[in-house]
Amino acid sequence: MVLSYFRRTYSIFTSKVLDVPPRLLVLLFFLLFMFFPLTRPGADLLGKLTQYSILAIFAASWDFLIGRSGQLSLGHALFFGVGAYTSGALCYHFGLPLWATIPMGVLLCILVAFLVGFPCLRVKGPYLALVTLAFPIILLTVFLGLPAKYFGGENGITGLPVFFPIEFFTERGFGWKEAIYQQTLAQYYLMFLLLFISSYILYRIAYSKTGIVLVSILDDEVASKASGINTTKYKLMAFAISGLFGGLAGCLYAHWIGVAGLSTLMLTQSFVPIIITFLGGIGTIYGPIAAAYILMFLGEFVLPDAVEGLAGLMTNIGLVSLGHNLKSNITSWTGSATSPGLIFMIVIIILIIKWPTGIARSVVDKLEDLSEERELEERGKRIWKREKKKKSPS
Amino acid sequence: MIAVVAIVIVVAVVLTWWYYLSPAGRVDAFAKIKRFTIYGLLSGGVYALLALGFTLIYGVADVVNMAHGALYMLGAYMFYAFSWKYFQLDPLPAVILAVILVAFIGMITYRLFIHPVIEDIVAVMVVTLGAALIFQQLVILNFTGSNIPIVLLTGSEDILGVSVTYQQILAFVVSLSLIAILWLFIRKSKIGGAMRAVAQDREAAMLMGINTERLYMLTMAISALFAALAGILIASYTVANPRMWTSPLAMSFAIVILGGLGSIKGSLIGAFIIGYAEKFVTIWTGMSYLEGAASLAVMVLILLLRPAGLFGKRLEVER
Repeated sequence: MVLSYFRRTYSIFTSKVLDVPPRLLVLLFFLLFMFFPLTRPGADLLGKLTQYSILAIFAASWDFLIGRSGQLSLGHALFFGVGAYTSGALCYHFGLPLWATIPMGVLLCILVAFLVGFPCLRVKGPYLALVTLAFPIILLTVFLGLPAKYFGGENGITGLPVFFPIEFFTERGFGWKEAIYQQTLAQYYLMFLLLFISSYILYRIAYSKTGIVLVSILDDEVASKASGINTTKYKLMAFAISGLFGGLAGCLYAHWIGVAGLSTLMLTQSFVPIIITFLGGIGTIYGPIAAAYILMFLGEFVLPDAVEGLAGLMTNIGLVSLGHNLKSNITSWTGSATSPGLIFMIVIIILIIKWPTGIARSVVDKLEDLSEERELEERGKRIWKREKKKKSPS
Repeated sequence: MIAVVAIVIVVAVVLTWWYYLSPAGRVDAFAKIKRFTIYGLLSGGVYALLALGFTLIYGVADVVNMAHGALYMLGAYMFYAFSWKYFQLDPLPAVILAVILVAFIGMITYRLFIHPVIEDIVAVMVVTLGAALIFQQLVILNFTGSNIPIVLLTGSEDILGVSVTYQQILAFVVSLSLIAILWLFIRKSKIGGAMRAVAQDREAAMLMGINTERLYMLTMAISALFAALAGILIASYTVANPRMWTSPLAMSFAIVILGGLGSIKGSLIGAFIIGYAEKFVTIWTGMSYLEGAASLAVMVLILLLRPAGLFGKRLEVER
């Protein structure tokens, strides 16, 4: 009797209270990030959040390409690097201001996306993945080989103008230390707003009619072609949209750290959106964004602390040299999403094997399973998995 | 058809170029052509060894193994550990022990990383790339990140007026004979037959009583063995360091895609194409940093002409 009351209360609770619509989650997320600086966190944390906001735009653009049109690109650093280098070179050689070079960088990225995407449409699956992998490596060798006066050679283009230069704040009467904090804060808000706007646009495209057409191509290309869809046009469009936001992330990154370096084109840079999206869940735009911040906390705060604790334990049980080694090289042991170390990679691999559908998507799916009313909504999210099962019915 | 046209164009260009050269230029060009022929042949043979393991595991298990380059790097380091750092063995037992150890590491990699996610090709790529980074970090921790020397043989010989080290000749001979052994193994032995059966149709092979899991592990071991041997042989005349796995990885992609994923004959021919393309760039332009870019550009060009590589399985309806 009492137990049935409990059960009934629980079911009402889960279906009415935990039934959080995605919009409310987004609103909560937005409010959290808008009001988070009021607690006055350190400039270090704000800087990390800014960096990962940029990486979240990058990851969302990769997710749009694979999750919507099913084209696997292993060389997404191409767009990041082209954006960073274009904007950087324009600033460096012609002295143009930020607001002029970033749109030009983005436009060039769209052009590059067309140039790369057009031949890439002929190839498919693992072939496409490996062909796209080639382009950033080719560009990297070219930039490395050209004389340093054009693209800076090994060091990249340094000394680029950053968002909200420090003079902007010192002129307004802030002290030096306070000005640096205010600069970090302004950059944080700018990147967060840009992330919000770009992810909103990507989400709207992903769930618009165009997005549905793209998913139909992912599901069955021959059938969608037979229904009169110009698949070439749509696949190229997905490439261009993805290139746009990937390039935007590259431009923002270059002007955030002030350097357009070779690391923007490296293999690890292509690897960043892949890890983030895999953890968040492929085919959702919100997944990579949530996973970017999860990864930030994991790589920058949780794992170093855990390793420090482990080092203390090692020293206490007698393995002094190992403990000392751990303690003195914490960053190279753990690493982060941008430069993965040993422990970070092991954790990521375990997460991928345990939650193949991604963390953010598992959470959202669970929230949705709690309420039966919205069960049929957003079924498209499982499409990617379903296609895999169809290929090998064992 | 395209191949015939391409060969005719190349021959025509070469003959015109030759006709307009001055006598001194002809002597110089002849020396360059000799170097091009011999070095291209030597590097092509070793690249074939590198790429074969990659194409084998894709052809049998549909696994794009991004850790292939890392296994190559581990081969060189295990040889260093056995022959120099820990045991000071003679080269031959050290090579054998190192190769067997890396084959075991390959099997463990398959069991731990690839097996849980084998259904999803993207997840396999991500997880194996992660495994490669883990191997790199482990090697840096154990052997530090600096270059290490790998010595197999010393001395050199003149072949047609081109100086070739014994290490290069050894690498070429060993890789060609191993490729021949693998070819015979796949064609003649019972396990090789099982591999071909699984490559053709996994379900049917399972119904015939083939233990696919064990076969995948064995294939992975063979693939890792080839990678490790290629690592030892190539590192013996270049250098070895923990970050040396990315360029051979890109190289084996280029070769394997050029020839068609999963085709052994294709990757053999692709290896020679890439080897000659690289030597062409280094010998005639003198810019050795363009090597990697040149081979990848050749790969992209060939893929534009034939989307499934030279000998790959024909893809489904396209365009």
